[in-house]
Amino acid sequence: MAIVGQKLVKQIQATGLKATVAQRLDDAFTRFTAGLSWNDVRGVLRGDPPAKPNPRVKPHTEGFWFHIRPTFYHEAVTTLYPTFRLGLLSALFFTFEIITGIFLMIFYTPSPSYAYGNMLDILTNVPFGKFMRDMHRLGAEAMVIVVTLHMARTFITGSYKKPRQFTWFTGVVLLGVTLFMSFSGYLLPWDQLAFWAVTIGTSMADAVPGIGPQLNLLLRGAPDIGAGGLLRFYLFHVVLFPLIGVIFVAVHYYKVVRFGISLPPEMEAIGEDTARKVPPEKRVNFLPDILTNELMYAGVAFAVLAISCATWYSAPLEHHADPLVTPNHTVAPWYFYWLQGLLKIPHMIPLLPEGIAGEVDRFFANVFGLTPKVFWGVIVGPLMFALLFVVPYIDPNPSRRYGDRKVMLTFGALFAAAIIYLSLAGIPTGVPIIGFGYVGGDPASEVGQAFIPDEGVGPVRLLPYEQYVVGKFTISAQPNTGSAGLDRLIRDIHNDMEARKARPDPLGKTLSADATGSLEVKEIQANLKQVIITLDYTDVNGAPAQFKKYTFLHAQSGYASE
Amino acid sequence: MSIFKKIVTFRPSFTVRILTGLISMLILLSVCTFIGLADQTRLNVRAAQFDARSIEAGAKVYFEQCARCHGVNGEGVEGLGPALASEQFVGRIELVRDSMQLQTVKVIKPSARMEQIGWTGTLKDYILSVTASGIPVKTSNVWDVNHPTFSERFGGPLRDDQIRDVANFILNYGLNPLPDDQALLPPAPGEGMAPRPTPVPLTPQQEAGREVYLAKGCAACHAIRGVGAQGAIGPNLTRIGAVSEERIASDSYKTNLKDQPPATTGAEYIRQSILYPNAYIVAQCPQGPCLAGVMPQNYAQQLTPEELDNLVDYLNSLR
Repeated sequence: MAIVGQKLVKQIQATGLKATVAQRLDDAFTRFTAGLSWNDVRGVLRGDPPAKPNPRVKPHTEGFWFHIRPTFYHEAVTTLYPTFRLGLLSALFFTFEIITGIFLMIFYTPSPSYAYGNMLDILTNVPFGKFMRDMHRLGAEAMVIVVTLHMARTFITGSYKKPRQFTWFTGVVLLGVTLFMSFSGYLLPWDQLAFWAVTIGTSMADAVPGIGPQLNLLLRGAPDIGAGGLLRFYLFHVVLFPLIGVIFVAVHYYKVVRFGISLPPEMEAIGEDTARKVPPEKRVNFLPDILTNELMYAGVAFAVLAISCATWYSAPLEHHADPLVTPNHTVAPWYFYWLQGLLKIPHMIPLLPEGIAGEVDRFFANVFGLTPKVFWGVIVGPLMFALLFVVPYIDPNPSRRYGDRKVMLTFGALFAAAIIYLSLAGIPTGVPIIGFGYVGGDPASEVGQAFIPDEGVGPVRLLPYEQYVVGKFTISAQPNTGSAGLDRLIRDIHNDMEARKARPDPLGKTLSADATGSLEVKEIQANLKQVIITLDYTDVNGAPAQFKKYTFLHAQSGYASE
Repeated sequence: MSIFKKIVTFRPSFTVRILTGLISMLILLSVCTFIGLADQTRLNVRAAQFDARSIEAGAKVYFEQCARCHGVNGEGVEGLGPALASEQFVGRIELVRDSMQLQTVKVIKPSARMEQIGWTGTLKDYILSVTASGIPVKTSNVWDVNHPTFSERFGGPLRDDQIRDVANFILNYGLNPLPDDQALLPPAPGEGMAPRPTPVPLTPQQEAGREVYLAKGCAACHAIRGVGAQGAIGPNLTRIGAVSEERIASDSYKTNLKDQPPATTGAEYIRQSILYPNAYIVAQCPQGPCLAGVMPQNYAQQLTPEELDNLVDYLNSLR
């Protein structure tokens, strides 16, 4: 202590107080930046050319964070093409999810008794709670898109080829981690959306031949999803998948630095990889060019997310999970629609004439014990994903040039088209035009679902409370209820019924021509009304039938504000 | 250079990068600031919205589980359950909002019933605990059954969140409670065990009529207290002998009777109601307004004349 003090006194005597303080502060700053003095940083920010020898490589050798990053990039990969910054964005979103996720973790208990109440608390009692939840959810959706696009880009530019085969392999692992991380997060709010999407997902595991029930038990912790399943999915979501993610990001990124970012295909001779042989005049230094570039993209990405969540995006929250009530039109998350589409394929070999297809099904069922659902959903689906792993190992073509890879690019386009087609088939309305995958119920119940959906809002809940006048009204083209909004709603129901009478749904069912309907509004309490839609129609057997659906509306439930 | 090429070779200058990054950060910070400034109000508005949705969800539970015994308007059902919408039970409340949109419940008149039974917690606590765990000891013989346990923790059908929802729904009656004279109030503690008047011994014909009542399915829809008939579709017949005499004197009976001559005695009215159920439809059934065509119309064939006589005799004795 005494020695330090003596040195300080000596320095002050020699250079004066001001210069000593300035020099000591600059020393501290240099230690913090692992090698850059204040003047060096100022030069960076002013866009000055580096001094010689370049002091800006020092953080790469001295500091941990910069030693992960290369000291320079090839000029050809610093334009938007060929990388589109998708890998960077994937890593950014991963980090973003960890930060927002830790915030949400503070307010969350992984138990069926508390989870949904915690969601309500986050929305109604935690400052920034809704914002953080929206950001976490939207960031997750964006991450799935960005990671998928990153893979598509790597495929299109042929960057999976030698020597980057294993980089691709780890990338496919990371795609899987991204999907499952997103999917495991789905269950945590413990609402109907969560419960049924995950029930569908894990019931696929149940159908795996041989080990299905054991696998299912391992995932759910019990025959049905309950406290055990929620805890497991929570641990998958916050421990297992992030851990696998961090490990594979490390391996993946090590390979990226080791081999360099692949140059645009047309710049290299066929079969050669020159990403690491960068001539001095083509080098773009990491500090300051690449770093500022990355910070810009990070800033823009986060600002877009924040603006979206502040304006139009609201993460859905449905009713409390109820194992006894399956809402109509339950779906998996959108990135698993393709898998749901596969499950809807009716036969082992589709497109055969009905009788022959049935015979083939029976043959497979008797000989191999395979049903179409198990075959397409549990075997073909995962195999399609597994196909991605082996792409670099089965593609014998050494050329990365687009003109030389017509077969592989066509194959890739077909794969993408198949995924899009199956995804369309996966949604309840099915593929437009040919109607494959439609799962609507009885036309009368579809009218109910269109106006009072089991989950979500729908037109009846959207109409403001004041617009509902008490009474029983016939559904007609010219309603006269004394309320403009209610008249409009009744006209909409009328038009929907007429459309369902005139045009058969993809299963060929129409609403019977004699169908009539009524809408009844009852006052239950001072600020609570009941809205009942009743349809009287003739069913397929020619017998009179009635469909009834109701909901309760409170004056302050504020569905329109979402 | 084509626009496509321009996009793919896009490389912003150093200044553009710094500026874009700074502007983005500023946007991010201002979004956070704006959200932060308005957050307390938004939280309060959202809390009121979720309270409202809880009441909506509670209404569904109420009509599925509670209305059968407590009435579709919370007015109570004789022999089954007391009123929940009565001012005596829910008191009177008002919703108040402050300048930050924080909604609070202002109690104008507390629940007289809670005072009467000496409950020390809040009314909500009482509703939550009785709904969840029932009332284990029978303190009154005016009700046919004890309050069952509704929580799935005690073998009932409801989850905790559903019980909270239904409690919120019942408390919401307090905004506009039923006047006590229009509701079925429970007896005060200590008065519930008042002995019933000694029943007049049944004659052998009436005994036979009761056997018919229990054997021919009447009990499935019509409750009679004390004989194990707990049906809740048609009107309760516990006092039908007295009720039928009041009824034939009512204006409603004289104006709404269809296709049949008006009955002149209570026994005639009972006979008419069994043989021609659609002749006169009573206004109130346990699950809402009574409907025509619900009761079978073939009892003239189902019952022998002797069985019918005995049944009418038995029902007429219930006063």
